[in-house]
Amino acid sequence: MENVAIIGAGQTKYGDFPGMGVKELFAEAYLEMLQSVDRGLEQQRIGAAYIGSLSAGSGFQLGQLAPLLMGHVGLPHVNAVRIENACASGGYALYNAACAVASGKFDMVLAAGVEKMRDVSSNKGRYWLGVSGDTEYERLAGSTFAGIYALMASRYMHEYGLKREHLSMVAAKNHCHAVANPKAQFRKEITIEQAMQGVPVAHPFNVWDCSPTSDGAAVVLLCNAKIAKEFTNKPVYLKGFGAASDYLAIHDRDSMTRLLATRRAATEAYKQAGVGPEDINFAEVHDCFTIAEILAYGDLGFAEEGLAQYLLEEGFTRADGKLPVNASGGLKAKGHPIGATGCGMASEVFKQLRDEAQEPSRQIKNARYALSHNVGGSGGTAAVFIYQRGDA
Amino acid sequence: MSAHISIPMYQRAVPQRYRLTGKLCKSCGKINFPPKAVCKYCLQGASFEDVRLSGRGAVYSYTVIAGGGAPPEFETEARCKGSYPVLIVELEEGPRVITQMVNPPEEGIAIGMSVQAVFRKIYEEEGVIRYGFKFSPA
Repeated sequence: MENVAIIGAGQTKYGDFPGMGVKELFAEAYLEMLQSVDRGLEQQRIGAAYIGSLSAGSGFQLGQLAPLLMGHVGLPHVNAVRIENACASGGYALYNAACAVASGKFDMVLAAGVEKMRDVSSNKGRYWLGVSGDTEYERLAGSTFAGIYALMASRYMHEYGLKREHLSMVAAKNHCHAVANPKAQFRKEITIEQAMQGVPVAHPFNVWDCSPTSDGAAVVLLCNAKIAKEFTNKPVYLKGFGAASDYLAIHDRDSMTRLLATRRAATEAYKQAGVGPEDINFAEVHDCFTIAEILAYGDLGFAEEGLAQYLLEEGFTRADGKLPVNASGGLKAKGHPIGATGCGMASEVFKQLRDEAQEPSRQIKNARYALSHNVGGSGGTAAVFIYQRGDA
Repeated sequence: MSAHISIPMYQRAVPQRYRLTGKLCKSCGKINFPPKAVCKYCLQGASFEDVRLSGRGAVYSYTVIAGGGAPPEFETEARCKGSYPVLIVELEEGPRVITQMVNPPEEGIAIGMSVQAVFRKIYEEEGVIRYGFKFSPA
């Protein structure tokens, strides 16, 4: 198997962009990626592209989105395909791109994600967001994704004494982190008290427990590690990449306080990278709802299941803590343009591991290894990546 | 715009939605609900016998969907009731089901409380009222 390096990455700001569609969003992220390649890139060297998107522009382009986007940025003939695994679409685009390079078939591959969520009616938006879970039973019980994660949160509270306040600690932490991130959707600090008082969504969640709907795109350029230094002295190596599935429906799973898809993906990624959770210096994890970050601490090995909430109490995962988690603001405050999210995490990690965080105040210092974690829906799919800085 | 479950698709699940018909695996003896082509417990058996579940169970977890958070096909229900509870129920035969709760107790829902399946209107699509199970305090 060939080793894989990342030599460029870019992303749009996440948020509400009435003037931009999927093509414009994708192009902005692509051009930022091109500029990030230190010694420049002959675009024709790109051999394949994997582009994650759930709704393909809210359903306007159900088929063949990938060639549409590639034709828009001057690469009409590159082998391109759309990848879909709900909120993990971007992570699976990255995973498939990494496998394509590792196989030796391609020297250079694009991984990308894009989602346009803000120009649909709220009615249509809620339709889209609820049909990536188990439609036949979960949806017809009147539940949405918020409802499914709320069921997990209730059970976690029952089994492990998690308190409502712990959920709000995740929200307050990630909002605080987003303030310094120019790419984030909500750059506004909130207190734990405020986060406990939002409009109810699905008990125990209020609106502050939920990630927003966002427009956005992210693009990552991968290559065979053997040629990485042709392009930059500071590649970021993708040392491990894992992905796994679970039963789509929550009622089919044995446990509601862990995501087996994440656990299996993490085990695969750690094994390939030859490192463990104790080696990770910072992480971007999938906090679509506040409980999801707490589940991730257990599933990624940062804490024992049931004890994850104490990491929050100790400030362990704050930007100034021992293991910063979601220093970007996370899905919660950086935003969650579904298909883009997994690649947006990789873009954040790439910049951090090259000491190029846009605002110096948010640069994580002396990091060698980082992890990103992207979940599809309520855990039907998950992808985990381990990165190593390349200039050391 | 609602989640689209066609009339024939709904019809195919009538044994589950009207009568809680589970599938007993002839290899391991455990009950799959909803049905699977291969048993989810032994991951081997592909031959099943119909069994009607009792509809008795206990609340494994719960949430209360607030008015603004309901999917479009349950919007009217959410508007009328303000909110509605959704449960994961562990049936006494083993399987767990996701379901709405009717007549929630005034003192609040508790994990572990006993519940019983009841036959109710679920929602309406394509001009056809769709019926199925909900759960009520036992």
